[in-house]
Amino acid sequence: MKMILRSFTNCIIAALLAGTTMMSCKEESLGNVDDIPGLGGDVWAEGPIDKWIQDSLVVPYNISAKYKWDQFEFGNLTKTLVPPDEAQVIPLLSTIKKAWTNPYVEEAGKVFYNKYSPKFFILSGSNEYNTEGSITLGTAEGGRKVILYGVNLFKIKGMTGYDPGRDSSFVKDWFLHTIHHEFGHILHQTVFYPVEYKNISKAYYQGGNWINWSDADARRDGFITAYSSSAFDEDFVEMIAMMLTEGKAGFEKIVNSIPEGTSPSGVTKAQAQAALRQKEAIIVAYYKNTWKIDFYSLQNRVRTSMNKLF
Amino acid sequence: MKISFLHLLLLTTVFFSCENKDDTVFEESADVRLNAALASYEKQLVEAPYGWNAVIYPGGGGSYGFYFKFDDKNRVTMYSDFSDASAAKPKESSYRLKAMQTPSLIFDTYSYLHVLADPDEEVNDGVRGEGLKSDFEFSIYGDSLTADRMAFVGRKNQSRLVLTKATQAQATAYTNGDLAKALLFNNIAKYIPYFKRVTLGANTYEITVNQNARTVKLTWLNGSTPKTFTTSYYLTPAGVAFVSPLVNGSQTITGFGNITWNANSTQLGFSGGGATGTVVSAIKPISVDLAASKRWWQTPIESGGDWRSATGFHVNGVDDAFKVADLKSDESIFAFYVYQPGVSARNDLFAPIFYDGKSIFLDYGHAPAPPTFTADGRAIFSPAGTYGTIPAAGAAAESAKLLYDPSGFYLIQTSDETYDMVSAKDAKSWITWE
Repeated sequence: MKMILRSFTNCIIAALLAGTTMMSCKEESLGNVDDIPGLGGDVWAEGPIDKWIQDSLVVPYNISAKYKWDQFEFGNLTKTLVPPDEAQVIPLLSTIKKAWTNPYVEEAGKVFYNKYSPKFFILSGSNEYNTEGSITLGTAEGGRKVILYGVNLFKIKGMTGYDPGRDSSFVKDWFLHTIHHEFGHILHQTVFYPVEYKNISKAYYQGGNWINWSDADARRDGFITAYSSSAFDEDFVEMIAMMLTEGKAGFEKIVNSIPEGTSPSGVTKAQAQAALRQKEAIIVAYYKNTWKIDFYSLQNRVRTSMNKLF
Repeated sequence: MKISFLHLLLLTTVFFSCENKDDTVFEESADVRLNAALASYEKQLVEAPYGWNAVIYPGGGGSYGFYFKFDDKNRVTMYSDFSDASAAKPKESSYRLKAMQTPSLIFDTYSYLHVLADPDEEVNDGVRGEGLKSDFEFSIYGDSLTADRMAFVGRKNQSRLVLTKATQAQATAYTNGDLAKALLFNNIAKYIPYFKRVTLGANTYEITVNQNARTVKLTWLNGSTPKTFTTSYYLTPAGVAFVSPLVNGSQTITGFGNITWNANSTQLGFSGGGATGTVVSAIKPISVDLAASKRWWQTPIESGGDWRSATGFHVNGVDDAFKVADLKSDESIFAFYVYQPGVSARNDLFAPIFYDGKSIFLDYGHAPAPPTFTADGRAIFSPAGTYGTIPAAGAAAESAKLLYDPSGFYLIQTSDETYDMVSAKDAKSWITWE
């Protein structure tokens, strides 16, 4: 009896709700809406690249990659850019998948990766040239969208004209570094890194003046790259990107390459090396404690996959 | 009175805002018409059975020949006259039509068309960051379309793209590689002397080709009066097509066909204006601009400027033959070679200028006397001294040796502000002043 009554009450409420809904529907008619061109995005006859993106990125990771030209995806409309060559798209994206997606998925799981990975990749065929002479490699917006430039210049083993001396470092320093750098930002913007990181090289950050520094100069002050010295957060993600793309041996080599003597800022070789070691230790602990990721294992996976590409 | 007038105004406003009728001038809504227009443009592109001949006039200048074949799967196959490779081998990429501020045709993945627009200067010899200021997104204006011709305007650099329906024979010519044969015309740059002439029928023309700007200049004598004609050109499977034709009395030249090239004898042949000719070299202009050398010397004196050359002398087919670009002054790098007339009443200055990262400076140089201007239009230079300590051998010494050649030089005005200074001895050496 009670049961029936209760379900009867629920019915009334449902009916009431339905009434409200209908009422609000009645208010005004939208009139005759035609097929608005371009509503819901551009469409085209899909080809093998579209299928590859769908199968390899959209379905497993909910990541989309836009390779067909859309000027409005790029921040600065005054810049001259060109779209990527179709032949470059799959090699580039699969390289990123091998050297960034797979290591993180294997190490931290798909749930982690799908939750934090940026969701839109926008590709430009050419570099973005800036008036002061620099070149933009990549940009990230809000942890969701990553723009990669210079896709037509990308070359890996097996592509015509591949030159290991030039191209392997280009792909490493350009595309993979950019991705790992931007993903590092997403991680620390989600859970901030231990504040003692900021104290390590506190007195030596250069700010906007980093552009006048070489990597070698920066390393003598305890920064992994010149760009590291621009700000705390950039330092943190540059360390992540360099450690992952250079591998453990490569990172050791960089640390050991710091020359004897004291830098113009008054940092000794031992101090600079100690600073890099402390930063490394904080990052390893941060990955372990915050994300349950074994950083050295991740580093090993990234580097192993890269060795197969070059 | 005033207040009631205001009230009346307010009332009017109310009445207007109450007006709620969708009264359109057109029978169908903008969206319906836009969709129909996009569909009809795509249909026209796709349904040309043998594709389209195309010419693009980039915003940065020049004219380039293309061939497009569109299909209904957003794919386009093309040839271009930009390079030997792009003329010989077709490339497939994608396109789409899109409603933007205007209906637009977008070539949305990299193709031969994008080569011109590429901001990487190594791709097209253009300006870093801008390329040749070309386009690959075009606005479509319905009134620029006819059944056999479609003209579009670039959205970024306002390049013009003109498509004309191709015939079956033209389509076959592209697939047969005829465009690559037309590119043999580019071999005209392999003639060692500066001056080149071709006789077509009764007329002998001096021909000057600027392959970067894509212009052909023809100079001839009408009796004893020199005449010149300059046009942009592009290449098609039929040969060189002039953007504007030359009408010279009874002879009309719309371009050059039947292009042949003999690498052994360095001879270029072609037909034009109803006749066939072979390009031959000459050691002097067909018509000497007698006042040019004096004018060249006088201009900087009046304007207070100087003449500069980034590459020094071109000799026997070699650009910067003396390698002035490699000159150094201690750590400072070469900036340009300068000729400054009238440094003093006694002498001019002919010298390399260096750049130390902050400013340009003179280290050493030659001091020619003001040149002698001959009645036949040459300028002859002779030494009057030097500045600083000139390295005994090397680019500066060799440049000066050539400058002081007793035959002297013809000055050829190539634009309002540029001259080519060509050796009168054999026309195989020249320097470009700008």
